[in-house]
Amino acid sequence: MNPFTQESEKLLFRLIDNATVLFLYFDVDGNVSVCNKKVEYITAKNKEDIIGQNWLNALYRDTNAAIKQQMFKAIMDDSIKYRRPNTFEGVISDSDNNERFIFWNITPMLTEAGELEGILLIGDDITELKESEATSKKIDETLKNIFSNIKEYALYVVNLDGNITYYGMGSEMMFGWQKNEIVFKHVSILYNQDDAKTKLPLILEQVRQYGQYETEINLVKKDGQSFPVILNVNQFLDREGTLTGYIFIAKDITERKKLEYQIFQTEKLAAIGQLAAGMAHEINNPLFVISGRVEVLLGQTRLARKVKEGLDIVNTQADRVRKLVDQLLKFSRKTSPKLETLNINDTIEGVLPLLSYHKLPSSTVNIEKDLDKDLPPIKGDLNQLQEVFVNLILNAHQSMPEGGRITIKTSNFQNLCAQIRISDTGHGISPQDIKNLFMPFFSTKQNGTGLGLSICYNIIKNHNGAIDVESQVDKGTTFIIKLPFA
Amino acid sequence: MAYKVLVVDDEAPVRDLFSDLLKKEKCSAKCVSSGEEALDAIDKEDFDIVLLDIKLIGMSGLEALKKIKEVKPDLIVIMITGFGYDEDLIAKSRDFGCSGYIGKNMPISQIISSFKLFAKTAKEKHK
Repeated sequence: MNPFTQESEKLLFRLIDNATVLFLYFDVDGNVSVCNKKVEYITAKNKEDIIGQNWLNALYRDTNAAIKQQMFKAIMDDSIKYRRPNTFEGVISDSDNNERFIFWNITPMLTEAGELEGILLIGDDITELKESEATSKKIDETLKNIFSNIKEYALYVVNLDGNITYYGMGSEMMFGWQKNEIVFKHVSILYNQDDAKTKLPLILEQVRQYGQYETEINLVKKDGQSFPVILNVNQFLDREGTLTGYIFIAKDITERKKLEYQIFQTEKLAAIGQLAAGMAHEINNPLFVISGRVEVLLGQTRLARKVKEGLDIVNTQADRVRKLVDQLLKFSRKTSPKLETLNINDTIEGVLPLLSYHKLPSSTVNIEKDLDKDLPPIKGDLNQLQEVFVNLILNAHQSMPEGGRITIKTSNFQNLCAQIRISDTGHGISPQDIKNLFMPFFSTKQNGTGLGLSICYNIIKNHNGAIDVESQVDKGTTFIIKLPFA
Repeated sequence: MAYKVLVVDDEAPVRDLFSDLLKKEKCSAKCVSSGEEALDAIDKEDFDIVLLDIKLIGMSGLEALKKIKEVKPDLIVIMITGFGYDEDLIAKSRDFGCSGYIGKNMPISQIISSFKLFAKTAKEKHK
């Protein structure tokens, strides 16, 4: 008995016809016998052009999608052969030639005897879903891109046991650890030993109590290098508000610290300069009297040998003080440099003959020049700059008692300034000493006044330039000077 | 050499030393301790050269220089200073007409030779 009345059959057809899914039925030969409006709409064909057609020809207007058709057909063949349902995600060009993504359900229809009667194809238009998927993928990529471009920040999450559970993009860049090397390791790996024991537990305690905590601290890279960060730590809560871990955001402030240090250095040097100038003046008067009196006494005839010897000693010692005060005055010299247009290569060439006036260690030192001939001129005070170069070259000499090589290299730095690198192959400077290198009265030499480099520093500063140093113990030192082009 | 020199410095040991050093060079020296006294002295006596300290109590050395030159434009004035080589001060002193500049930080022998040189050059110029 047919369970459907005529009425219900009509309703069923109306339902199928108006359904928002694509509805298609074809027989074992592949000829379509039923389709609904949605199929007409999507394929831009009339029912008359679809019914009786092979199902593939009915669905596709052109053969551009041949590969897709082949795949669809292969899956269909599988359903026909093994009489099993399948799904397929296909693309159809609609009436406006837009691609529509259709998710097909393939259902083999069997007779009561189990014979294949035909295939029911129900398709869902998932174009919008696909598009939003594409959009969110795009957003994901953009976010990834943003994160990978953030170099100063690192974001990582730590669970209650202190193990790293999330290690964001910036983190790899900041710490040098790859994600797979560090995830599930204890977060103390990013701290130096003392901080891991004392500061880290305190930070976490603060976060537990107050929700978040911010502090300046040094973190440690994979290669052991320590660097300053501003560390912001927040509670990581689940939906119920239970603490499950801590979110760390670290901002690398190495550059800022460097700048702060430079400003601090500059101010300190200025203060010392003022003090030095005042002191030098106060010392000069009595010193002049001491030396002058000795001179007058020495000029007298018939001096006892002992007296003469004593006066000579006073003279030598007074001379020592005089030289020191001279250096102090040079260091505090406030007069701005007399700027003229200079070719820095010529300035350097002019320095080399001056070296012979200084007592150089007897070691064999080769001076190599690598001068950029196309360097634009700079504005500088010839005497002052020569003083700087003489100073640096003498220092380089003295750092190589067993001999070595001094390289003087000039180059164009970003079309902004002339860069002069004076390198030696000497004993180098320890990181601790480098910090104080340009401070007056700081010297690693036995008889140094500790004023030479601070004078260089002031001269270069007065030229609106910069002086920096790179050094490796037992490898050598390089002084880098930048002077703006004229 | 035999110049008649006026030494102006606010510190007695400095004045005395200059006096002795100049005597060694066969010059006569009169010493005063301020710019005011110096102006008074040149009004009463003729000098070949004035050695004038830049830092003085009361009238400053530069002021004194200016006033001396107003009264006696041909008088040779050599500035002395404990500040060392200061380009700004040198430039100002030149503008006011000083003939030379001696730093107390120089070795004594150099101070003497500089003094002789400045004095000689200035004398020749005035002739």
